[in-house]
Amino acid sequence: MTLALRKLSRFVWEIPREGKMRVAGRLYVSESQLAALRTDQALEQVVNVAHLPGIVGASLAMPDIHWGYGFPIGGVAAVDAESGAVSPGGVGYDINCGCRVITTQLHVDDVRNHLHAIVAKLFATIPTGMGAGRAIPRLSPRELGELMTQGADWAVARGYRAGPDDAAHCEESGRLQGAEPDWVSQRALERGADQVGTLGSGNHFLEVQQVTEIYDPEAAAAFGLRTGEITLMIHSGSRGLGHQVCDETLHELSRVYARFGADYAALPDRQLACAPIGSELGQRYLGAMQAAANFAWANRQVMTGLAVRAVAEALGLPETELGARVLYDVCHNIAKFEEHLVDGQVRRVLVHRKGATRAFGPGDPRVPEAYRDVGQPVLIPGDMGRYSFVLAGNADAMTETFGSSCHGAGRLLSRTAALKRARGRHIERELAARGIEVLAKGPRTLGEEMSEAYKDVEDVVDVIAGAGISRKVAKLVPLGVIKG
Amino acid sequence: MRLRRPVPYEELDHTADAGVIVHGRSKEEALARLVLAYADLVTGGAPVATGADRVVEVAPGDLAAVAVDVLRELLFRLETERWVPESCEVVHFDPERGARLVIGSAPYDPVAHADGLVLKAVTLHAARFEPEGSGWVAAIVFDV
Repeated sequence: MTLALRKLSRFVWEIPREGKMRVAGRLYVSESQLAALRTDQALEQVVNVAHLPGIVGASLAMPDIHWGYGFPIGGVAAVDAESGAVSPGGVGYDINCGCRVITTQLHVDDVRNHLHAIVAKLFATIPTGMGAGRAIPRLSPRELGELMTQGADWAVARGYRAGPDDAAHCEESGRLQGAEPDWVSQRALERGADQVGTLGSGNHFLEVQQVTEIYDPEAAAAFGLRTGEITLMIHSGSRGLGHQVCDETLHELSRVYARFGADYAALPDRQLACAPIGSELGQRYLGAMQAAANFAWANRQVMTGLAVRAVAEALGLPETELGARVLYDVCHNIAKFEEHLVDGQVRRVLVHRKGATRAFGPGDPRVPEAYRDVGQPVLIPGDMGRYSFVLAGNADAMTETFGSSCHGAGRLLSRTAALKRARGRHIERELAARGIEVLAKGPRTLGEEMSEAYKDVEDVVDVIAGAGISRKVAKLVPLGVIKG
Repeated sequence: MRLRRPVPYEELDHTADAGVIVHGRSKEEALARLVLAYADLVTGGAPVATGADRVVEVAPGDLAAVAVDVLRELLFRLETERWVPESCEVVHFDPERGARLVIGSAPYDPVAHADGLVLKAVTLHAARFEPEGSGWVAAIVFDV
């Protein structure tokens, strides 16, 4: 597909509205990133999203955009909360797949000689991949119902915690209020019952990291980030429960969405199938999706408690001596009702973020008080061989991108191409030679997830910073990694 | 006719996820190959033991949607019952009746199959099931 693009500024490009597009497309990318995008279907997907009923502003793409299904990964779309449509494909299968960073008061010198033990303990404690054992006992339907209502608080109340304010340091305080656990099917419950506290596979990971650079001392101080100190980063989501919620809704929707009207019938990709927000099916999905989002927060919170315990045990220290705290926890795959300025007016919209991060600016009351002066922490994982970043939301994000930023590096190579490049190499040994201990379920994961498979995340965050959406606060370099 | 692994298939070069393309002389053969290609992905091509036959039935719809539904059901059973297909016989497969398959199952082994892909879901994105030349072609993208 050949698209005519209009350059709006150094890092902002527009796909002009044409045909049945309801809004224009807007990309936040560099020239070189744009050139790479023309080789797959990601740009076409930005155009497809612009057809969503009720979409306002523009169909947005962050600099980590890559080919997804329905929405591109890195796609953001806000629809009117009254007249718009909710699209499960705009959230994705892994509902509230997200990222959290836990700061500690450990210095790199405290862990350097214990890295092997720490990584081994984390790998033994937190189940990864398919067929892994349970992290905590299998939950009954009643317990799952409580968990899906309470989110992160459910796990905190059961002792899975880092510090005194874990849930308060999560987006939405780790709990969406509209959750309806009764709308989560038995099949979804069956998949999720023994998966709380498990990492998953693919690009999910838990890293032990070192803070190596501070770019914004004021924000870093507010976030509790100091050079040389150790952080933990967890990237995971709602596991099989969330996948099942999305899967079942899409299955149902794919057969009926055309009945919602001509705008719906004309959607260019079945994976974009959506329902009016106010419809019975739309409401049912939103209730179940929010329950699954709470499952994901509880999952990351349980892993937080398990990880802090594992690190303390590996070091032979009491947990309190780690000085661990949740810095922040962000959703990467979500649809949330928020108020934003649209065409000069405050409107309530449903913001779909599919592989994108909320990035609210300074002064916003939805940002935890401790961070309100500097803006929301925006956590951007990179790849397991290079680095990740902590950014802070800027005021411009509120007017440009519905308060959204990128969510990661974005893949550069397909899994097949990555595996070809990894053939004959020992990725584990290559990382060890660079001081990074990695344990994964199988060699395939290491090949698929090696550094070269991803864009350099620094190029991605430099674009988002250059566009004024977020600003760099700190760089985190991996020392130890566990993967599925 | 019952097909057994391995079967020929192509891997779709999707940037973030994984997909397969299969061909068959009949639509039933293409569906059976799709099922066994899926098994190959999740086991990393490792051998599986022969086990009990299981029946999978899905509701009517267009052929691509029915094929997606067959794989959705297999993915659910993998995660909850821990088995993968070893062989596959398609009893019927058409838009009016949906599909009925008899699948020779084998236990999923997390150690032996550690090199397999962990698939989250079967997507409708770019799903194809259609005649091509004198045979049939099917393509499915999985969320990884």
